[in-house]
Amino acid sequence: MNNCIVAFCCEHSAYPAADLAGKLKLHYPENLRIIRVPCAGRVDLIHILKAFEKGAAAVMVMGCEGGACHHMTGNTRTKERVKYCNLLLREIEADGRLVAMFNLSPNAPHKFVGAVNEITKRIKESGR
Amino acid sequence: METKIGVFICNCSGTLNNIDFDAVVKKVVELPGVTSIKFISPLCLEEGKKKMLSCIREENIEKVVVAACSPEFKEHVFREVLENAGLNGHLFSMANIKEQCSWVHEGDVTGKVVELIKMAVSRTRLLQPVKMNNFSVNREVLVVGGGFEAINAALQLSRAGLRTTLLEREAVLGTGTTELENLCGFDINAMVMEVKGDENIEILAPAEVIETSGKIGDFNVRIRKGGEEISRKYGALVIATGYQTKLALESKLKSDVNIVSQEKLCHMLEDPELRIRPRTIGFMLDFADENSRLPTLATLNNALAAKRKWGSEVYVFCKNVKVDSERIERLYQEARDCGVMFLKSDVSPKVAAENGKIKIEAKDIFLGEDINLTCDVLVAEECLLPAEETEALSSILNIRRDSRGFYQDENVHLYPVASEKKGIFFIGGCRGNLDLSRVLTDVSSVVVSIYKLLSSGNILAEVERVKVDPQKCVACLTCIRICPHNAIQLVRVDGGKEVAEICDLACEACGICAAMCPAKAITFQGYRDEEILAQVETIGES
Repeated sequence: MNNCIVAFCCEHSAYPAADLAGKLKLHYPENLRIIRVPCAGRVDLIHILKAFEKGAAAVMVMGCEGGACHHMTGNTRTKERVKYCNLLLREIEADGRLVAMFNLSPNAPHKFVGAVNEITKRIKESGR
Repeated sequence: METKIGVFICNCSGTLNNIDFDAVVKKVVELPGVTSIKFISPLCLEEGKKKMLSCIREENIEKVVVAACSPEFKEHVFREVLENAGLNGHLFSMANIKEQCSWVHEGDVTGKVVELIKMAVSRTRLLQPVKMNNFSVNREVLVVGGGFEAINAALQLSRAGLRTTLLEREAVLGTGTTELENLCGFDINAMVMEVKGDENIEILAPAEVIETSGKIGDFNVRIRKGGEEISRKYGALVIATGYQTKLALESKLKSDVNIVSQEKLCHMLEDPELRIRPRTIGFMLDFADENSRLPTLATLNNALAAKRKWGSEVYVFCKNVKVDSERIERLYQEARDCGVMFLKSDVSPKVAAENGKIKIEAKDIFLGEDINLTCDVLVAEECLLPAEETEALSSILNIRRDSRGFYQDENVHLYPVASEKKGIFFIGGCRGNLDLSRVLTDVSSVVVSIYKLLSSGNILAEVERVKVDPQKCVACLTCIRICPHNAIQLVRVDGGKEVAEICDLACEACGICAAMCPAKAITFQGYRDEEILAQVETIGES
């Protein structure tokens, strides 16, 4: 999995946003791999860490906007998990910013592409 | 023996022209478990679906992967094909090679397409069937509230053939309904009579809910009525407790007889024995509470009536006139044509009582001038608040309220009248600032939703899609605390051990519990750890 970005996308927000990006023919790097989840809250630490173990350059968790989660608290719970994952990465002296939570609404394809570009920038900065 | 996976690829009538499908087919055939691979385009139309169906039958395919567009749009279409072919609808994955691959990348994307199909195949290999079952439900409905919306809902539910109980806190039905709304065309007294004469509607008044438990189709409600407690079972609950209004006034002005509410002004307008007609009337609008849809409606109605009946000079001091409900823009135009003056100010005007008159000082931002006005009567601004019992009822029902205390979050993902708990609905004023046409829409949509759920006496739902393994569960209560839909409860199993159990009817399949469970006792078919990790592990293999 050299230099892939793994994105866990909530099927209520980020996944439709990614679809919309496709419909608008926006462009983002080809190394993005989207995994559809029913809510950002389903994403567990093991999923993120496994992606890094397999050589992912970065992991994105994408859920609904704060306060607008389809399942009330899924996005906030996962945000905490992602924060914890940041710490774990720092502990092993990796760049903690390579795992990040993004909040967006289903009608925000530009924000989706912006997020992917942002993480790509971070990968470059971290020298991978 | 490995299950047979069939892969169906579609190029969406040739719109995916940066993929070499021959190369894709060659690579995908080698994947473990894939026994057949078909290129059909377009797959989602009748002809494509027929071909897919016959292929599944002829080649005894057990699980299916479709590489085409987004599952957001077409998942249900292909799931139906699977079910027609006698397969379980959950033994199916989609690889999104259109919106999330071909259309967002320039140049040849064959490699990525192969990888996406690989990910879908690796997930599909692990999928397990999810059965559907009919759960029997109670066909009775409880409507809490006794106002216009509650009565209207009860009548419509009864007409739909569902037995309904109307529970009102006050002794009399239909009080407090005409406060701010203009119920034109609806005779509330006739409706109350109709409810009383309806065999399908039982009235409990005065009564209150003291405890609820259970889930959709089977709510247990304890009700206190006249000192005694009764216990009832309902299939669905409708909350229509309405709102209350509060005058936005400084405390020293509260006792002044010349400062009135909209309701009081209405009474004055209808009073044939009123001796002195006020010559100058001032209204306050939209300063204290920005959610002023109903107060605006009342202000415009009353200002027009005062102008026409008494010929008074009418001044409306406002920050903004919110004209976002039916008829209200026309009313505003009429009011202006009749000579009602609208004075727009950024800050709340200064009000003082002086010699039986009201002095108002304001700065009009259009004229840029200070305005000093003396009124005979000032109609104070009214703020909308949730009804008194809202807070208590929300903790009884275990349902969240929004920042202003009304039911139903400002969460855009929620269906407006449905709560986060399946089977509990809201109508009208209890969920905010709604005018009559919106209330009627609420009533209709709630009645239709409940009819769909309860009319047959059965609800078809997935069985154990999300499941707690009783062997692994240590009853730490994490899942019970975090479930956003209150779908998990503690039950005693054989051997006296207490474990968490997920109610299939109430579960919305979000998987938050599966991620949080410290004992990993919860499995979520389709999104189990194995299935997600299989996709992660496949990425970048080639």
